[in-house]
Amino acid sequence: MERRVALKSMAVAMGAMAGLPSWASGWNKSAVAKSGLLSADQSKNLTMIVETIIPKTDTPGAGELGVGDFVQKMVKDCYDSKAQASLASGVSNIDEQSIQRFGKSFVDASKEQRLQILSDIEKSSDATQKGFFSMVKNLTIQGYMTSEYVMTNITHYEMIPARYHGCVPVKKG
Amino acid sequence: MANFNIDSKKARTYDAIVIGSGISGGWSAKELTEKGLKTLVLERGRDVQHIKDYPTTNMMPWEFEHRERLPKEIADANPIAARCYNFKESSMHFFAKDNEHPYIQEKPFDWLRGYQVGGKSLLWARQTQRWSKYDFEGPARDQFAVEWPIGYDDLAPWYSHVEKFAGITGNKDGIDALPDGEFLPPHDLNCVEKYFKEQVSKQYKDRHIIIGRAAHITEPQQIHLDQGRAKCQHRVMCERGCPFGGYFSSNASTIPWAAKTGNMTLRPHSVVHSIIYDDKTQKASGVRVIDANTKEMIEFYANIIFLNAAALNSNLVLLNSVSSRFPNGLGNDNGLLGKYVAFHNYRATVSGEYEGFLDSTTDGRRPNSGYIPRFRNVYKQETDFLRGYAAGFGANRNTYNDRNGLGESLKAGLHETKYGNWSVGSHMMGETIPKESNYVMLDKNEKDPFGMPKLRISVDYDDNDEKMIKDYMEQVSEMFTKAGFTNVRTNDNHRNPGNDIHEMGGVRMGKDPKTSLLNKWNQLHHCKNVFVTDGACMTSTATQNPSLTYMALSARAADYAVKQMKAKNL
Repeated sequence: MERRVALKSMAVAMGAMAGLPSWASGWNKSAVAKSGLLSADQSKNLTMIVETIIPKTDTPGAGELGVGDFVQKMVKDCYDSKAQASLASGVSNIDEQSIQRFGKSFVDASKEQRLQILSDIEKSSDATQKGFFSMVKNLTIQGYMTSEYVMTNITHYEMIPARYHGCVPVKKG
Repeated sequence: MANFNIDSKKARTYDAIVIGSGISGGWSAKELTEKGLKTLVLERGRDVQHIKDYPTTNMMPWEFEHRERLPKEIADANPIAARCYNFKESSMHFFAKDNEHPYIQEKPFDWLRGYQVGGKSLLWARQTQRWSKYDFEGPARDQFAVEWPIGYDDLAPWYSHVEKFAGITGNKDGIDALPDGEFLPPHDLNCVEKYFKEQVSKQYKDRHIIIGRAAHITEPQQIHLDQGRAKCQHRVMCERGCPFGGYFSSNASTIPWAAKTGNMTLRPHSVVHSIIYDDKTQKASGVRVIDANTKEMIEFYANIIFLNAAALNSNLVLLNSVSSRFPNGLGNDNGLLGKYVAFHNYRATVSGEYEGFLDSTTDGRRPNSGYIPRFRNVYKQETDFLRGYAAGFGANRNTYNDRNGLGESLKAGLHETKYGNWSVGSHMMGETIPKESNYVMLDKNEKDPFGMPKLRISVDYDDNDEKMIKDYMEQVSEMFTKAGFTNVRTNDNHRNPGNDIHEMGGVRMGKDPKTSLLNKWNQLHHCKNVFVTDGACMTSTATQNPSLTYMALSARAADYAVKQMKAKNL
């Protein structure tokens, strides 16, 4: 009986998922306009930046998982105009540095060259650059760790744990 | 035409009207309809049907485009709601928006409201402790406010009544100052919480650490299955609405139960303007409603009226119910309506770490936490402040990922979960003293978008609260230190009154009509067919989370009202 009720409840809830009613989505629509914060070129650069921060290995990197768009969306919707400006100028600045140092744009630079540029910015004494990079790195980690791929295949998120045990051994390895 | 009017009036006439569909209104509706009364339930907001109207309930974390963070435009437009811990991307549709429901803050007050069927029962913290006799005896013993007209023994059977139906998990701890209830099996305390419990009982005679008592079904009984509710699945996403009905809400429980009797008419989008007083019968004859969509005024009639609009809105409705007999608001002969408002003081927290149990952790999630029942001034006055505080207590094993570096080394760090120390934390829940100077009143000029007078709120902390904060910080720090916790830190978050969402009073119960508004049955002294059984009725606040007491008071008053009606006394 209990299980049947639960399954029935779930089925109804799934049905409700099909589309958010207007009063629920109404909160978001105005805040999330279609146009992005960055130009198409800047967006490509940002995707390469997040992919450099968390690259593809035997599992997908942040670029492939769409974390570039997540970073842009978060800065656009949840941050103030100063942070938004710093994202745009920070991304352009990285491209300029790449052209200056390696004679090619950031998206065409080698993996080592890209890492070198980002690692120099992370250690930079320039507060603006450092602030920009720390924002992008933190959002990249957040977007990556909360992506469907990582939560499903790596950290094994449980939507419905159905239990709480107050004292269990720490799993080794 | 005359006949048409008579028919129309008949169609708008019920045995009872319940104003509000939240925790207490849901209970009033359930009890009245079960006892056979044709009952109209008025709700100012939209309908929210169980499961069907929980749009976010099954969304995965990655399906929230801002991962539950609030978009800036929404946070900026709703600074009051956004200060609530539960106002998130997944739950914000269950909160009233600041700009649509304005009020006047004479002093900073965060008035958090859930304007929909179910009210705040979708959003509550679900902690459900009984009051003890020491809580009811407080105002008389310490000579503040007025004496409660009821005691623990009056309410105990009604606590049992509502606990069995709602489903309350808890442990029978046998603590004098926090009576046991009708409990479903308790949640686990974790290793560090159990350790702290042992340490505290060794070091202190009258202090206890227990698992919280909460409105979660840990082992469904037939009465829960009959409601279509199942066992709590430990998702801990309660504020989205629970598809299992694992926790108690009006939406999952009392409202559908009342509907099933065939005696309930639920009318959403109905903003109650006032209660109609009939000079001839010297009773209330019905209510005036502003239809939220059309702004049209409609009257409904009934023998009995239950006012469950939530504490401050119940004050507002009574203050706005003026007549030649009651020019200052219904039942307000003594001028005390809207006064002696109080709340709970949640300002202080204490945190720390524990370096033991490093080979242990927890598994799964728990919609509950540990609890420290009040230990100050329980049996006699022993500090330089009145009353006392309860506290939440919880421990968690810290986990983290190495976020250093870039590229493959960073990725490897993120894929490995590392274990830190246990973190421990506590927050206070202090009783505040109701005072005449803490009040709500109607603004004489300004109206809200529905044409109702705006409520002016003037509520503040006082010196007693400051002393209590200091004592809580000292005592819990000492308990932590004695248990060997390190990095013990205290914090005063300076939150506004109201942010606790435990505002109470303004229509207090009492023995004497000269100093109170309601009698021991929650009836207005001067208008006996109007019952107020939400937070507005509270004479004092104690330290317990209040909802369980509102449920019990509502069921008790409904039982009395129906008996009186059948005896032709109402």
